[in-house]
Amino acid sequence: MNYPGYRQVSGPDLMKDFQKHAESFNVEFLKEEVISVDFSQEDKLIKTKKGKEFTAKAVILACGSEPRILNIPGEKTLRGSGVAYCATCDAEFFEGEEVVVVGSGDQAIEEGMYITKFARKVTVIVLHDEGILDCNKVSAERAFNNEKMKFIWNSTIEEVLGEENVEGVKIKNLKTGSSSELTCQGVFFFVGMIPSTRFINNSGIEMDKSGYIPVNDRMETNLEGIYAVGDNRVKYLRQVVSAAGDGATAAVAAERYIEELNDFHANVLQSDKKILLLFFNVLVNESLEFSTLLETIIGENSNDYKLCKVDMSTKKNLAEKYEIEEVPAVVVLDKGKVIKQLDCSMDKEKLKSQFDAISC
Amino acid sequence: MSLEQLNSNRFEEIIYDNCEPSLVIFSRKDCHVCKEIVPMLEEMKPQYEGKFGFYYVDVEEDKTLFQRFSLKGVPQVLFFREGEYRGKVAGKVEEESIEEKIAEVLGV
Ligand SMILES: Cc1cc2nc3c(=O)[nH]c(=O)nc-3n(C[C@H](O)[C@H](O)[C@H](O)COP(=O)(O)OP(=O)(O)OC[C@H]3O[C@@H](n4cnc5c(N)ncnc54)[C@H](O)[C@@H]3O)c2cc1C
Repeated sequence: MNYPGYRQVSGPDLMKDFQKHAESFNVEFLKEEVISVDFSQEDKLIKTKKGKEFTAKAVILACGSEPRILNIPGEKTLRGSGVAYCATCDAEFFEGEEVVVVGSGDQAIEEGMYITKFARKVTVIVLHDEGILDCNKVSAERAFNNEKMKFIWNSTIEEVLGEENVEGVKIKNLKTGSSSELTCQGVFFFVGMIPSTRFINNSGIEMDKSGYIPVNDRMETNLEGIYAVGDNRVKYLRQVVSAAGDGATAAVAAERYIEELNDFHANVLQSDKKILLLFFNVLVNESLEFSTLLETIIGENSNDYKLCKVDMSTKKNLAEKYEIEEVPAVVVLDKGKVIKQLDCSMDKEKLKSQFDAISC
Repeated sequence: MSLEQLNSNRFEEIIYDNCEPSLVIFSRKDCHVCKEIVPMLEEMKPQYEGKFGFYYVDVEEDKTLFQRFSLKGVPQVLFFREGEYRGKVAGKVEEESIEEKIAEVLGV
């Protein structure tokens, strides 16, 4: 596992260090599977398989990815009886035997090479034309030079054969459509990863067609207060170091979001005075001029109103909540309830008259 | 509660001599899926205290054991009752499948 500051460390050991570090800051860990969520309210709800429920103002989704399952006959029933997904775990069990590797990405070819240390022959089933592998060039070169590595091109596998143990595979040639059987004692699947995001399928979170979650540079998803980090988001490089970076960004963004939320509750929704929620944008001059005018009027008038300025460029969530699309805009709130939206006239008298109308 | 690790001798004693109804996980240190299954079994163990044994075999330390059952990979959880092998589950299994299998082996 490569991670800055560690010259040689295994994934699990690195994670133990991460956990210890987090625990020193009183982070609590709980081993449970989340099976459903409700993100539609300000307090987000999370339910686990064992029936526990949690609510939170902000949620960071970091559920990573898992090996893709092809769902072909024999794949599931012969798992552990010749069907495998991890070379470093299981290659040794195939000493002197014949093994099939499905896939041709970095992981498939590198793990396939590792299996040749034990197996007599490793046959790689490749989707593409002869000579084309999905892995990096260096690995491809090494694989072609390895005498124990064989390749079957333009093909995929249809079935894993065998009763108690794997006895072979049924291979389908994609060009000719014909099927053939190959005897082997093991099949290793390396057909890519899929994001583990199925449990949020109906949560309203936007995902691409593979199930990865798109986010902005603050790791915000399309839903307010929900962030996605690490392997389960749309991104260029899926590694531990980039996942940790995402996590740092989301943690800060979530903390600020909660702060703003609490602030808004205390100062706006629970205010004794009526609130003028003014939406502005520094890039829109008119909104700044309007702001000055509004402040003048409030200054001249009684103390009935409190002005609360909202920068549209950073507080998109609030703008959405009050359905504001253009600046300037003013929403009048009384004990958190919208009682009026002002017509943002630059005519002082016209503007003023609207306040009189509210008061009576 | 951690699982007792069995070597070949201890395995004979518990599974075949004492005929204790038991499960045995065959695992190894550098297998990431094993690292998820072992803690799950540790967590389940207390519920079955006195009714069903939970044991651990490290395939690197005891090669003869995995060869004997001609295992092809880890983790695998093997079930025994009255000194007889009663089947196995392999890979990343859920707690429910283990519970069901135990019930089946115990005949409840
Ligand atoms: C074989 C292999 C080798 C790799 N080698 C390297 C390497 O050398 N260097 C490197 O930087 N990266 C490497 N990577 C990539 C690296 O592992 C990932 O990029 C990284 O782990 C992503 O972190 P993550 O937190 O996003 O997801 P993960 O590490 O996948 O963690 C997701 C966690 O969420 C949990 N989870 C999922 N769904 C739920 C749910 N519904 N409820 C509760 N929990 C859930 C999972 O159990 C898991 O613990 C490798 C990956 C593989 C597969």
